[in-house]
Amino acid sequence: MNLLVSGAVLVLAALAFFSYDLISFRLNLIHSIETEAQIVGENSVSALIFNDPVSAATTLQGLRRSPDIVCAVLATNDGAEFATYSAPGVAVGLRRRPLPARESEHYWLSGSHLLLAHRVVFQGKAVGVVYISATLTEIGQRARHYLLITMLILLFCMVAALAISSVSQRLVAQPIISLARTARGVSRDRDYSVRAEPSTASTEMAVLTDAFNEMLQQIEQQDAALSRARDELELRVEERTSELQAANRELEAFSYTVAHDLRGPLDSISGIAFLLSRAEQEGSHPETEEMIQRLKQSTQNMAALIDDLLNFSRASTATLKKDDVDLSAMAHEIAKDLMDSDPERKVEFQIAELPSVQADSALMHIVMDNLIRNAWKYTSHHEKACIEVGAKLQNGKMIYFVRDDGAGFDPQRADQIFQPFHRLHSKSEFPGTGVGLATVQRILTRHGGDIWAEGRVEKGATFYFRV
Amino acid sequence: MDANPPTNEPSQSDIEAVYLFDFGKFVRWPVNNVNEPLRLCVAGSRVFTDGLQNVVASERIDGRAVLVHRVVRGEDPVGCSILFVDSSERDRASDLLAAVAGKPILTVSDLPDFLDRGGMIQFVLIANRVRFSVNMTAAARNDLSLSSELLKVAVSVRGMPVGGAQ
Repeated sequence: MNLLVSGAVLVLAALAFFSYDLISFRLNLIHSIETEAQIVGENSVSALIFNDPVSAATTLQGLRRSPDIVCAVLATNDGAEFATYSAPGVAVGLRRRPLPARESEHYWLSGSHLLLAHRVVFQGKAVGVVYISATLTEIGQRARHYLLITMLILLFCMVAALAISSVSQRLVAQPIISLARTARGVSRDRDYSVRAEPSTASTEMAVLTDAFNEMLQQIEQQDAALSRARDELELRVEERTSELQAANRELEAFSYTVAHDLRGPLDSISGIAFLLSRAEQEGSHPETEEMIQRLKQSTQNMAALIDDLLNFSRASTATLKKDDVDLSAMAHEIAKDLMDSDPERKVEFQIAELPSVQADSALMHIVMDNLIRNAWKYTSHHEKACIEVGAKLQNGKMIYFVRDDGAGFDPQRADQIFQPFHRLHSKSEFPGTGVGLATVQRILTRHGGDIWAEGRVEKGATFYFRV
Repeated sequence: MDANPPTNEPSQSDIEAVYLFDFGKFVRWPVNNVNEPLRLCVAGSRVFTDGLQNVVASERIDGRAVLVHRVVRGEDPVGCSILFVDSSERDRASDLLAAVAGKPILTVSDLPDFLDRGGMIQFVLIANRVRFSVNMTAAARNDLSLSSELLKVAVSVRGMPVGGAQ
């Protein structure tokens, strides 16, 4: 296509140049014949004046050196033929035409034939007319030359263009085709690890190939990230599912435990009720007072369990109302309550000045109450005890703690103590529902904090928490 | 003179009159004063003089007016530019030539031995056509230069400078 266009352009250009040249060449030729006519005319003046045709013929012979001139005639003023000339091997055959009276020169062109008439003037007077007849065969020759040269140039240009296009095919088209093949392969196989062969041909191609490879690399990375994200998502779903399943199992166990623990006091109430009714029938009242005491105890246990469960539930569902909470005051209040409830016990409270904390006041009261009451409970078997409430700064975060020197626990089971109904001590040893610490953990978690415990058997326990 | 002159053909003397006038166009005089007329003097018949007068009419040569003058016997032809000596004046020829010797006057005649006598242009009849011969030496002697165009159509030229030698 390119070849065709450039060929056409070349031919048109050659044609334009050729026509221009032919026109200017023809004008030049006509001009040169005019000059010849002038010279011949001037040299024939005396011959015409003194009626010497022989001399005029000699002068006309001078036209031999112009190969285009076929024949020439010198005519007198009255139109009579005075002298003639014809090129070697050509018969004189000149059809003269009258030169218009007012013109000193005129030419007639017919095809490749030129007839020129030139008036010979001497000292302001016309003395005769020179007629020259010429063929413009040289123009034809020139045209043929032009055609030949144009064809040769065309041929040469075609060959050169073919050579250049084959080189450019190798340098540019080939790498582009291979690049396209790679791209097609990538989109078909979705294999983004493929790389286009680096091109050595030209810098532009190298840049293109580099850009293509870079793009492939990015796609590959994104593809990997995508599949990684998908895998992670699946993993997370799995995790969540197993968590949910665990929670579900926990819930089942929880409801079982709740039912079981509620059943205990109920059984005991029902048993006491049976004994009481039998004693009524038999009319004997040996231990009525004691049985009523036990009945009271059972209902108290049940009420405590239900309270704890309500707290636990509230800890999970209550909306947080955050406020400045003074944990020290809270701790002092709880300690006073405890000491008032059992003035016999010798327990030393060490409550530090704690910075106030942003939290839900009611829920934080449950936290402090549970922790301090725990400490109080698990030091009850010791004659003297010390309960410490404090805080320390670690990594820019305040860590609060409640420490006692009571029964402690087996450190290997430290993580179990926050599970509901998991108790590390028997109910007869230390009474309790096993819901308190679970409630504490839930409250702190909801505040964005956490809790953990340290302890050893009979060496006391420390509960750390962050809000 | 002519053996069988065609009635419509100009006579020999008519042609000679025309040529005499035309010679003036091919001669360069040492002083060419436009204001001064060119004088064509004729030593010959009144008929020829009148014929010449007809040829000249009111034409000019190189911008100079042309006057025709008949040189009568005993008259000094010193004021002439061209002096024509008719063959009928053969006896006067030598005197006239002597009178103009050294003067810029073109001498023309149809006398057969005119060039031998020191004349400059001599009409000759060749194949019934009026031609002329030129004596360059005589012209040069009288400070006249003749155009090469004139020499080209002359039948013969005497004293042609060869290789630049005078």
